[in-house]
Amino acid sequence: MTTRVPASPFRLSAGAKCAIPLGLLFLVAFVAPLSIVLGFSFLPERTFGFTGELTLENYEHFFTEGYYGTFLWTFGLAFAATCCCLVISYPVAYGLARVFGGWAAIITLIFVFPIFVSENLRLVGWTLVLLKGGGVLAYTINMLTGFETGTLLYGPGSILLGLTYVYLPFMIFPMTLGISMVPKEQVEAASDLGANRLQIWREVELPIAMPGILIGVLLTFVLAVGAIAEAKILGGQSIVPIAHSIQHEFTYAQNWPLGSAISVLAIVLVGIMVFFVLSRVDLDRLLGGR
Amino acid sequence: MDYSRLVKQLAHSNPLRHAPMNRRDALKGIGATAAAAGMASMMPPSAQAARELTMLTWDGYVDTRVLDTFTDRHKTNVKYELHTSDPDSVNKLRAGQTNIWDIINLNNPWAREIMWPENLIVELPRERFDPYFEKMLPMFKPPYKWAMSQDEAHLLGVCQRVDTFDFVVNTDKISADMGKDQGWDLFNDPKMKGKYGILAYDNWNIMHMCLGAGLHPFKEKTDDQVAKFEKTARAWINGAKVISDDFNALNLAILNGEIDAYFSGGTYSVSAARMEGENQLYHVAPKSGAADGKGAINWIELNSAVNNPDFHPAAFDWLEFILQPDVCYYVGTAGGFLLPIGQLSDPEVLAKFSKEELNAFQWDEFDYRIESAVEYDVVPDYNKLYDIYTAALRDKS
Repeated sequence: MTTRVPASPFRLSAGAKCAIPLGLLFLVAFVAPLSIVLGFSFLPERTFGFTGELTLENYEHFFTEGYYGTFLWTFGLAFAATCCCLVISYPVAYGLARVFGGWAAIITLIFVFPIFVSENLRLVGWTLVLLKGGGVLAYTINMLTGFETGTLLYGPGSILLGLTYVYLPFMIFPMTLGISMVPKEQVEAASDLGANRLQIWREVELPIAMPGILIGVLLTFVLAVGAIAEAKILGGQSIVPIAHSIQHEFTYAQNWPLGSAISVLAIVLVGIMVFFVLSRVDLDRLLGGR
Repeated sequence: MDYSRLVKQLAHSNPLRHAPMNRRDALKGIGATAAAAGMASMMPPSAQAARELTMLTWDGYVDTRVLDTFTDRHKTNVKYELHTSDPDSVNKLRAGQTNIWDIINLNNPWAREIMWPENLIVELPRERFDPYFEKMLPMFKPPYKWAMSQDEAHLLGVCQRVDTFDFVVNTDKISADMGKDQGWDLFNDPKMKGKYGILAYDNWNIMHMCLGAGLHPFKEKTDDQVAKFEKTARAWINGAKVISDDFNALNLAILNGEIDAYFSGGTYSVSAARMEGENQLYHVAPKSGAADGKGAINWIELNSAVNNPDFHPAAFDWLEFILQPDVCYYVGTAGGFLLPIGQLSDPEVLAKFSKEELNAFQWDEFDYRIESAVEYDVVPDYNKLYDIYTAALRDKS
């Protein structure tokens, strides 16, 4: 005779057991540091240990000392860079998924190779292109037309160029994945039923490719919000982005609590946007789950 | 497997040595550190016993010629991290990292006014190190103020790299004499708006903005004086065409005609370009200014031994090693930076520098610069002035 042992209500499923190592790593490497940052943001300014009384002065400082301008510029430039990447990437991604055929691998490599080179180096390369006088672009235009371009560096335009250039691959590849998920049969069926090209794009291709596009938008936007090198190298610090303000506070100012408060506000703002976008993405579908 | 070699390689891949770093570099560094820590725990006890000498430093001591020569002579590997700023590294020691670091290399005031009173560094044996001070430039004759405790009873470190840090002009546009005569008023001149840059070494910018406002940077300021500082800081930041923490970018901007001058700057920022023949890049030390009549600021780097509970037996050996003539030359030319060193009074050291190298750091004017300079010290109102400075930077946007 065999007896069945009743299942314990505390017994973990196989999936939960498998998730334990990752969960622990998540707690140690992600939740713990963020908790420290959150804790510091409520400590008196320029303290280095968890000993002071809790205060909201860092958040007050943020709103009274003009940091919102930094946020507006950062989010504005990140938004503009995301739009630029979106417009540039769509035809490229469409080509990679539908048109280039055997050439797609080579074209993909062309977009991937720059990522192997340090971001700072690539931006310094752009400096050499955009510099007044001896810069590649200014010199070439002057030689061909006699026209003096003046400076093309040290402004929001050059920062936007840098952001678009650096984060373009992060838009292209998820978008390519999204477009490649569009079944050809569905496009053909829409065509057979009398839909014109614009209708097919708007009502068939775009909705199906949308999760990939949104992932690309999300990646590009979040990375651009945290960008610092573009404003430093191409922008000549004409704009101080959020990441630079945080760096200032953690280094020269030695004001860890204020740096933490700025970080927390940036994380919260970006987090809200991420949740908003993710709530509209069906990852299962994007990954071919159904 | 040779774990010690692997650990050394990982440690030497530390991206912190190449400032400024980006997010990706930081992630690589975290990975390397984690891997190094993991490997260290797997090493046999005998390999762990001979621990590396660890150093928090500016860039003069991380040249491979310096590090490898020390390893060859003393059979000790050296691991290092470059400073972000002097106060940043002092706060690392304050936060308990005295058990990590063995050597620290900082500018003038930190050893005497902060680290020694707070028990973060140890005293050096004078009988071993005083003879080296005797052989240095006259300004370092013992007891040299910045190497001694405030009661002058304890030797706190050894000096080497020294100069002033002021501003840089393109002599094709602004003559050196005009720069020296006009001093910091050069940047107060409305005609200079949009024609100069700022090398964003924040603490130096603040000192120089004090001088531009007619204030002594190292004396406490009244509210009126703080208001004067703010006016100057905002005018200078708004008038700057480019602000960068990379002096190569500013030198390039001068050479391409984007700007005619920049502050803060000096031989530290132009010597490598001058060595390449770009002699129009010129370090100007103002003839006069608001700091007791002086307008330049003199820095020296002091190398001290950290009060590590596990005091490294080679810590004093390192401090003596860097004062040897061949190593002095390596330090004075480290990583392509060419800088005056206190040991240039020694004919054996001087003979190692070529004419071009001496010209690169404007050695012919060194005495003038030191005479025209006030010594770098702690800025008493630093936090208040720094908040004004960063607010002005944000408002420029």
